[in-house]
Amino acid sequence: MSAVAAKPAAGGAMNPGAMAVGIILTLILVGICYVMSPGVGLMALIGVVIGGILIGFGTHFVPVGGAPAAMGQAPGIATGVAMLATGAGVAGLFGGAWAAETLPATMDPMMQLLIVVCAGGVGGGLMMAITCMMVNFLYVFGMGIPPASGKVANDPITGDSQAEYKSQGTEGHGLPFVSFVGGVIGGTLGGAGGTLIYFELLNLYQGALPDVMNVTAAQVLPIAVSLAGMFAVGLFLVNAVLTAYNITGTIEGPHDPKFKRWPRSIVASAVASALCGLCAVLIVVPLPI
Amino acid sequence: MSVKVEVIEGGVPHNTILIAGVVSTLVCIYLTYLNVVTQTEMFSFFGGLAVVAALVWGSHTIKVLCSYGIGTGVPSAGMIAFGSGVIAMLLATRVTNLLLAPVVALILAAIIGLILGWVSNNVLNMKIPAMVQALTEMAVVGALSLMGFAALITGTFGFSGLTTGTVSMFGITLLTHTNSFLGGCLIAVAFLLGAIAIQHPFNACLGPGWTQDRMLMLTAECAFLSMIVAAIMSLALISAGSALISLVIAIIGWAFTYKEYMALSKRDAHSWLDSKPIPDVEGH
Repeated sequence: MSAVAAKPAAGGAMNPGAMAVGIILTLILVGICYVMSPGVGLMALIGVVIGGILIGFGTHFVPVGGAPAAMGQAPGIATGVAMLATGAGVAGLFGGAWAAETLPATMDPMMQLLIVVCAGGVGGGLMMAITCMMVNFLYVFGMGIPPASGKVANDPITGDSQAEYKSQGTEGHGLPFVSFVGGVIGGTLGGAGGTLIYFELLNLYQGALPDVMNVTAAQVLPIAVSLAGMFAVGLFLVNAVLTAYNITGTIEGPHDPKFKRWPRSIVASAVASALCGLCAVLIVVPLPI
Repeated sequence: MSVKVEVIEGGVPHNTILIAGVVSTLVCIYLTYLNVVTQTEMFSFFGGLAVVAALVWGSHTIKVLCSYGIGTGVPSAGMIAFGSGVIAMLLATRVTNLLLAPVVALILAAIIGLILGWVSNNVLNMKIPAMVQALTEMAVVGALSLMGFAALITGTFGFSGLTTGTVSMFGITLLTHTNSFLGGCLIAVAFLLGAIAIQHPFNACLGPGWTQDRMLMLTAECAFLSMIVAAIMSLALISAGSALISLVIAIIGWAFTYKEYMALSKRDAHSWLDSKPIPDVEGH
């Protein structure tokens, strides 16, 4: 069977047993972290898991069209889930990292976290808003097609009817208003999640790496930023691809029937983030070998 | 016109490629340890050869996985390979005994890949038979390729070697953390060099006319192309002579695999026309 002819195998069904095992696995991984590195390490891991869940949940809002959208045969942005999730997350991460640099060190840590995560969310949302708008410009003025949803009769927000504008033989095309709003919400959640992962790991490394490497805090800064950034990108890609596996192909936004699959994605993201986050925390713990 | 097809559909079994890939990658990474034994940096190029071996194995794994039509595009497989691989690789470099690092990276990546595969198949209900094994293999490929890049660029694969560099100022050599594989974030470039090289070959060669030897040759070509860039980056961290050895080996490897790939493409093509980039319009 070639990849061209094959159909996505995943269905919409939930698997309650596996999801329960997944939740227990997450708790076990968090427990290992509590034994190995209580306090700062555990806080960082919890932040990473929350960030991963935000990415997994947020991606379901983003209108992903894939190859059919590029030909104007399905609504959404014409690329894959993994690329869009990564784009929103990395754009948000840049916004959050910039905010983290400019904050005074004397500020309350909780306030710092809030500002940095909000800045990351705005960065991700802005990136997605610009992408959605330019995509619609290209669809409407470049390809000459009106935005129309194929999954609902009326736009859930504006109430506009869709069927008259939908071409025969397509699943809809362009980005209807609800997809645009979904994209911005998804980008905001993804950007905030990515920034939360980065900021928690950065704080952990800035605090613990000077002791591990026997150097001063100023010398360790480039290593801490680079390590936190690489782990954040790695975690981001893992979560984005798992969410892509959950969606299998295209999704129109929050009104799409596939949106109801989000609980599976949350469990998957929690397991993956706890696992990868544990590795990220263990790098500052003295190892027995 | 008679078409000569040397390799039938399937070709070399996947398990053979898997075993050959693991063994040759690990051997090549361990050969860079000759740097420590002989107190030089001349053997860094073995890191690049480890990358080539790992990527050839990894692209065939992607073929096995993506033949099922996972509905997310082939590039996502390369992204999860390096996303989970970088995490295992970074933690593995932290082990005290440097010689254990590649094996620890392999085991750690396998555990991460195994759990991610289980999550995809059961929690996300993908139900793809090859999923668990493929994600396990790809995490290992990602981790070992990054370790190969690290060895190629810095000459070592330990945490202290990756975080410490030297900078010469007025004839005095100083230790610095900014001028290093991790501190300078060269790892981000290595990450994408590997991720693009692993996902491109199957994405480019898939379809009814897929042949195994052509795809694997394209992978080797992409891997040597990445090695050229990494060898140039290694000029910043290891001695110029050692970096030039890597660069020359990468260029020779690339030129050879490119020539072979073009020959295989012409073999598999129905017919071809050697057109020039700028058509000659004289006489019209």
